[in-house]
Amino acid sequence: MKYVFNASPNYRDNVSTSRIMRDLTIGLLVVFIFGLVNQYMTYGMDNLIHSLILMIAALVTTLVTEGVWALVCKKPIGATLSHSYGWVTAIIFVLMLQSTATVYSVIVCSFLAILFGKLLFGGFGHNIFNPAAVARALVFASFASATAADVVSKATPVSTFANAGWVASSADSFNQFLTSFGGLFNFALGLYPGAIGETSFIVIALVGAVLAWRKVIDWRISLTYIVTLFVIATGLGIINGQPLTYGLYHVLTGGAIFGAVFMLTDPVTSPTSAAGRIFFAMGAAVLTLVIRVGASLPEGVLYSILLMNMVTPLIEKLFDGNQIDMKSKLVKYNAILAVCALVVMVVMSFMVTPAENVSYPTVVNLGASATNGDAIHVSAAGFSGEASPNAFDVVLDDETQTVVSVTFTTFNDTPGIGDQCNTPEFLDQFAGLGYDQIDDVEVISGATFTSNSVIDAVKQAIEGGNQ
Amino acid sequence: MFFVGPMRQHLDGHKSLSEHVQVKTVDTPSTVYIPLFTGGKDAIPCVNVGDHVYVGTKLGQKEVPFIVPVFSSVSGTVKAIEKHPHVGLKPVDHVVIENDGKYEEKAPLAPLSMDASDEALLERMKEAGIIGCGGAGFPAYVKYSAKGITDLIINAVECEPYLTADYNMLETTMDDFVAGVSLMYRLSHAQVAHVCIKESHPEMIEKLTKAFANVNGVEVHPVPDVYPMGWERVLIREVKHVEYNKLPAEVGCIVSNATTAIAFANAVLRGMPITQKMITVSGDAIDTPCNVIARVGTPFKDVIDTAGHIIGDEVMMCAGGPMMGRTQVSDQVCVVPETNGITLLKPRHDVEVACLRCGRCSDHCPSGLQPVRINTARKANDIDTLMKLEPMRCIECGLCTYVCPSKIAVTEGIRAAKRIVMLRGKK
Ligand code: SF4
Ligand code: SF4
Repeated sequence: MKYVFNASPNYRDNVSTSRIMRDLTIGLLVVFIFGLVNQYMTYGMDNLIHSLILMIAALVTTLVTEGVWALVCKKPIGATLSHSYGWVTAIIFVLMLQSTATVYSVIVCSFLAILFGKLLFGGFGHNIFNPAAVARALVFASFASATAADVVSKATPVSTFANAGWVASSADSFNQFLTSFGGLFNFALGLYPGAIGETSFIVIALVGAVLAWRKVIDWRISLTYIVTLFVIATGLGIINGQPLTYGLYHVLTGGAIFGAVFMLTDPVTSPTSAAGRIFFAMGAAVLTLVIRVGASLPEGVLYSILLMNMVTPLIEKLFDGNQIDMKSKLVKYNAILAVCALVVMVVMSFMVTPAENVSYPTVVNLGASATNGDAIHVSAAGFSGEASPNAFDVVLDDETQTVVSVTFTTFNDTPGIGDQCNTPEFLDQFAGLGYDQIDDVEVISGATFTSNSVIDAVKQAIEGGNQ
Repeated sequence: MFFVGPMRQHLDGHKSLSEHVQVKTVDTPSTVYIPLFTGGKDAIPCVNVGDHVYVGTKLGQKEVPFIVPVFSSVSGTVKAIEKHPHVGLKPVDHVVIENDGKYEEKAPLAPLSMDASDEALLERMKEAGIIGCGGAGFPAYVKYSAKGITDLIINAVECEPYLTADYNMLETTMDDFVAGVSLMYRLSHAQVAHVCIKESHPEMIEKLTKAFANVNGVEVHPVPDVYPMGWERVLIREVKHVEYNKLPAEVGCIVSNATTAIAFANAVLRGMPITQKMITVSGDAIDTPCNVIARVGTPFKDVIDTAGHIIGDEVMMCAGGPMMGRTQVSDQVCVVPETNGITLLKPRHDVEVACLRCGRCSDHCPSGLQPVRINTARKANDIDTLMKLEPMRCIECGLCTYVCPSKIAVTEGIRAAKRIVMLRGKK
């Protein structure tokens, strides 16, 4: 009989870091699958396939980089790879990308982020910055204009609204903007143009809830971030005459929930103490708002996370000590930050001036320009059926009975999908066509119903003119 | 809680393994080894080789910083006073007694009545060597000398996994327990005595409620099944919702173990010190987990053999529960008055990975420490930060290691940090 020694305790929880990472991976894949669905419905098959390619590229680059690093450092490759959890970084990175990113940029940025953002710091557990956020920021810094050729690109609500300064000139204008992307509910659901994995508040929040229940992520961080962002954005909105939904909009878009669930909760780059984490999340929320509204950047979430990563060591120091004796101090520091957040909110409110005359991609002013005077008003059933058809103004050349222009007057189909037809590229194709040639117009895959409604409408218009 | 973690954790207790199994009695071997060591200090012997002793004969006494005597558990002849392995991991002097198998008792103290004076009771606590909980061999009489006590808390929680010895003691010696608690309650001058028991033991709660029905001022207080519920700080936090700096007396509390109450009743009513112990032998490496009764000084080997057979060729043997019990490397160590269990576990093969900085250790530390920060500061040799993190307040409960998903021996790191701080204090 051999009595084995081990310093007590000799009892351990079943939870392991590998299990945590496995759960996290599954959660991320769920989000990715929804992202693929959205890519298909909003853009089309090409974007779905391209998204998959990007994912594979990021995963392979990350694993190869870490593998080579292990070789160079003469460490066993298998164990190093499986305890470095590089794939999590790769997946998070791709989920933050638009599907228009080039494969080349993904490979370069994954490589740089893993090498400089993680391995050179000493590997997993030692990095200061969230490596996925580093990779994403690199794409912004170096490849902002590089878009893959074979995929559809579109204005996203966040970039559109960011261009407008994150504050609409009036409640009406804001509501109009929301409607153009399918309203707040669609923002929550996530079927609109945006980063591959960031669009759906509902899906990410559900995955987050499960992960929090499985103790994979710290719900205190996610909750604090979302609540703080909501409160200060709503406050800022009220002061600037925005509708109450304004605060919700900030929470629902721009990857706020993605950041809250998957990025801020990255344990390696956030403080370890409970109070420190509250502080960290609140700080990130304030910075997000400042960057969004103050600098009119769409990527407030990303940069706020990187900035907070940078101050994490300081936050740790601030909250070092016996947590029981320090309890009042812990609460006090957080209360001070909360007050600061409110002050920032008020100051920001007076600093921003909503951009005037911004044109949102709305139903009213999209499409070819037409002289309404001699337009023929027609309607045709699209995706929503006979009950709520799309309506058009079709202008014909009276002599040749060919099309001069087609314009949407009422768009009733799915925003983000059907409005692929509501573009000059698509509508201009009709110019010069006669009745027999209309059927030759290529329908947009992924927006077949809407395409067909345009074709129907044009035919009706010519038929009507003949009568 | 939002700004600090829960500071405790539910553990899978595996209590059913031994809880309702028939208690066995260990045949005391012909030689017993009684350590001249208690509360971390050597005791001075008061017997000589060749002396005849009885069950209850005083063998020696520790004098600094507090007086705690040591007693014989068998009758027979003192054969030697020599170094022998000890559960504290360092060999210490033991009185080796040849057991004559007669177990002739000679109570070292005269029995007292239930209405003995406070002074007599305090004196009895001291003479009988009643040691309280809270480690460091803090004798009970010191606590009970304090003034201004409002609450007496009796710890019948037994939060260590696998252990059911206290529970079985309550089952078998309920009368002594009630007498002991009543005496302690009177002695403490507290307004209320709270008998704390895990809420997962509804049948025991019922029994206790019935047993204390006629005792005014004593209430049964169910507490959650979490670890380390049996530590005085956690108990006071649960019962009174207050924190204190060093000693429970600061907030008017005394915490005593249930077994201490039973031992006290025995010392008062019969004049006898602790000579036998109820010991849980359990774990995943023993075929028939159960409770046994063994005399102080019996080698662990005899205790384990009475309980059952060890499974496998390699085993980890903890003196006590798996959380705080030290791992023993020799089965020749002997039962001491504090022994309440022997936990036998299959060796673990956890793979340690890098600290994920998940903060679980900080969230769960019952002392409000930040183990991950302590270990980071220790590794970085950042002494100033280390001092600020107060590693000396660690009670080595082991919870930080338990919760660590990266399978790091966090507690062991804190011990190293303590040594650094202690060395610095000496300079
Ligand atoms: S062993 Fe020490 S540091 Fe670890 S949880 Fe227990 S008291 Fe805290
Ligand atoms: S529990 Fe383990 S992994 Fe988590 S912070 Fe503490 S030492 Fe690091």
